Formats: sequence, C-alpha cells, structure tokens
Amino acid sequence: MSSENHELLGRLAEQVRSEIAPAVDGEYRRTQAYMAAVILERLAREAVLGERHATAEADDMAQLLTELDGIELEALSEELAALRANARVAALGDVVEALYRVDPERPETAAALAAIRRVLRRDIDRRMEIAR
Amino acid sequence: MSTAEQAAPDHEQFAATLSSYLADRLGTTGPVKIRDMERIAVGWSHETWLFDAVWSSNGSEQRMGLCLRRDPGNALLRDKSDLGEQFRVLQCLGDTEVPAPRAYWHQPDPDVLGAPALIMEKVPGVCPSPWRRAGRDFYAAAAARGVLPASFTDALAAVHNVDWRSAGLDFLGVPEAGKDFAHREIDKWESLIEASGHEGHPILSDLIGWLRHNAPPAERLTLVHGAFRTGNLLIDDDRISAVLDWELQVIGDPMYDVAYVLTELNREGTDLLSNVVPRELFFERYQRATGIEIDEQRCAYYQLLYAMRSAAFWMSAAGLYADGATTDLRLARTHWSVTVALERAATELGY
Repeated sequence: MSSENHELLGRLAEQVRSEIAPAVDGEYRRTQAYMAAVILERLAREAVLGERHATAEADDMAQLLTELDGIELEALSEELAALRANARVAALGDVVEALYRVDPERPETAAALAAIRRVLRRDIDRRMEIAR
Repeated sequence: MSTAEQAAPDHEQFAATLSSYLADRLGTTGPVKIRDMERIAVGWSHETWLFDAVWSSNGSEQRMGLCLRRDPGNALLRDKSDLGEQFRVLQCLGDTEVPAPRAYWHQPDPDVLGAPALIMEKVPGVCPSPWRRAGRDFYAAAAARGVLPASFTDALAAVHNVDWRSAGLDFLGVPEAGKDFAHREIDKWESLIEASGHEGHPILSDLIGWLRHNAPPAERLTLVHGAFRTGNLLIDDDRISAVLDWELQVIGDPMYDVAYVLTELNREGTDLLSNVVPRELFFERYQRATGIEIDEQRCAYYQLLYAMRSAAFWMSAAGLYADGATTDLRLARTHWSVTVALERAATELGY
C-alpha cells in the first residue's frame, strides 16, 4: 500500500471518530460507528508499520535459527527443519509444543525456549504497536 | 440493520409472546401484562431482559419481577455456555446460602420465545460496570462505607461452602483428585480456541505448554463460580443481593475463584480487590468463613489459566465476526484484544 493510502486510512479513521460517529443516532449504532473508527485506526497502523515489522521479523528469525543451531536439539530435528523452511514467527508454535513434549526443564530445551521467548517478546511488542 | 439488531425482537411483539407464555406457565385465568420491559446491557453473550408480569387474581393485582435470558446462538462462549445448565444450577442453589436469583422456567425450544430462554427472578439491586468511571466510583464509595467488602467476601465464601453433592451440582462433572481440574479447564479453553478458527500465536503454545507442565493438584473441590467479580454481582443497600452470570461454573479448585478476585485485571486505579475489598479483610474473612487457606502460588497459576481463557474469549469473538455469525463491530475489534491478552500472558510467563 502506498504511503498516500496509509495516510488516507488514518484520515478516514479520524473522520469517522470525530465527525461521523458523534452524529449517529441510537446508542448501538453510535457504538458501531466508533468501533469502525477504532478498527480503521488499527488497519492504518498495520499499513504504516507492515514493512518495518516484516524486516524486523526476518532479522529476528535469522538470528534465532543461528542460536538454535548451537543447541543440541536432536529430538526436535523434524520441527527445526520445518522452521528453517518457513522461518516465520508463526511457525514457532510447533517448535514450542515440541519443546514441552520433550521436557522444558532440560538445559538444552530451556535454552531453546529462552531464545524463542526473546523473539516472541519482540514480535508481540511489534504487534502491540498496532493493537494498543 | 446489523445482525445484532435484527436478532433483538420488536418489544411489542416479544411482550405479546411473553404474555401468552407466562399466562400458560402461571395458570392465570386472565391475561398477563408485561410492564416496564427493557433490554439491558447489549452484551456479547446472552440477551437479558427485565420486566414485570402483572395479572389479576381473585380481584387483586399480582406482580412478579422477572429477568429473561435468551441465547441468540452466536454467543461468545459458543457451546461452553448453556441456558439449560444455568437453569439447573440456579435451581440447585435455591436451597443454599448463595444469594442467587430463583429460576422459574427454562424454554429450550427456540420456536416458543424466539430462542432458547431462561426466566428467573428479578432481584433488587444494581450492578455498575467496573470498567466505567461511574462504576468504579460507586464501588469506591461503597467500600468506604464498610459493608460491601464483607458482603462480597461472604458471598464468595457461600459459593465455596455449598455442599455441592447434596445440592445436586455434581451433574456439572466432578474432576478426579489431583491435577484433573486444571487439565479439564485447559482442555475446555483449548477447544474454544480451536472452534474460533483464529490463527493464534506461538505465545499461546508456550502458555498452554506451561499450564499443562505446571498444573497444581486441587486440594479440595468446591463449587466454583468462574467469574466472581464486581460487574457480575447485584448490590442492594451495600449488600450482595445476587450472584449473577452462572455461565462458567464448575466443580473445582476454589483457588480458581480466589485468583480471579486477586488479579489486577479485575481492578483499576485501586488496590481494592475487585475494586471493592481490602486485601487483608478478604484474606482474613474468606479463610475464616471457609476454613480454606488461600494459596497464593496456586492462585498465580490460575491467573495464567485466566490469561489463556481471556485469549480464548477474544479469539472466539473475533472468529464469530470473521465467520459472519455476527456483524457486531465490537467483535471485529477483538482481533487486537487477542494481542493484548497474549502480551499479558508473556509478561506473566516472565518474558
């Protein structure tokens, strides 16, 4: 989406919030109008931040894969191979589940979980920039 | 017109339907009039209507305050909330010390009242929203007067002191000794997450894995309300006149309810638990009334279980909108509430 469209979404959100919603009759309908503004605001943030977030995610995942390569995780070879083929934060769920199946308290699985959690924290912080 | 408004029946037509239904149930010889009918709190679960039923008997006017809950079929809890179960729970509580509305009729046939419905006693009292400033001011003022904090604690103690077997509440399902209660709750909310169709996030996998790995044994099984907080309690003259919202009850660990009282998420801008009760008073009075020692470590575990439940609720809500089951934009917005719930879960897990 172009930066002009990003700005348009933001202006649209503001107009719905400040001009359209207050003019709507009926509590339920007015609430719906305000919700539309809230949703447009978040979509606008997603549009503006999308590229930066995608780059940051790719960097985090590349660093994580390097870290995981340095940990003895033979029991997770299948999940890690899948992760390397699809190096996205969303794909970490299967690895996390596998870590808990093995034993999250063994030193190597604890180290892997700690590394993954650092990435998850950065990811959720990025998502919170949009969701707050 | 949105689906939510379309689902809400025209008042006059609905009142006419109710009038016939109640005349039949009450066995009146003359008509039953429906007075002062209002739909309260356009919420995301069941519809709630308050009204008075008025009829003539032996020349004198009879009046009955009633509350009707209807299930529109797109409630956030999906199959996890059942009006038939709520009705049965309220019936069981009728002879206990728990302040709860008396349940009169359950109508499962959607063709009779437009949707499955439950009709119960309209109990006097107010239930200010703790999420609004006016509500929090109400609770702060009531707390300062000193009566409501004790009544709040006593009401929870009454729930946990119920002899649930004698009351017939074992139909809710009784966990086996040990960790079964925690695992059942995890399974329940995991099934709601799956039903939602929401993509989820690896933090949720971490949370669920942690919960299963660290589940505590329940030392004692009691009736558990599941959502005991201000906003779900009717208050009349500074006393709890009724515990409402019997949708999440189970037989389980009482620390599950205590954790809900202790959590910061159920208070805002105050140290008063649930916006109303001083911590020391709650601990002392609850432990004395129940003989149950509050285990804060177990409560900390259940607060993480609530984080999972919270995520499940928001995922279910967002999923209802995504599926087209509702056009209510408040549910569309919950897509981002999932993020907030997961961020909180990550913090609780220590990262």
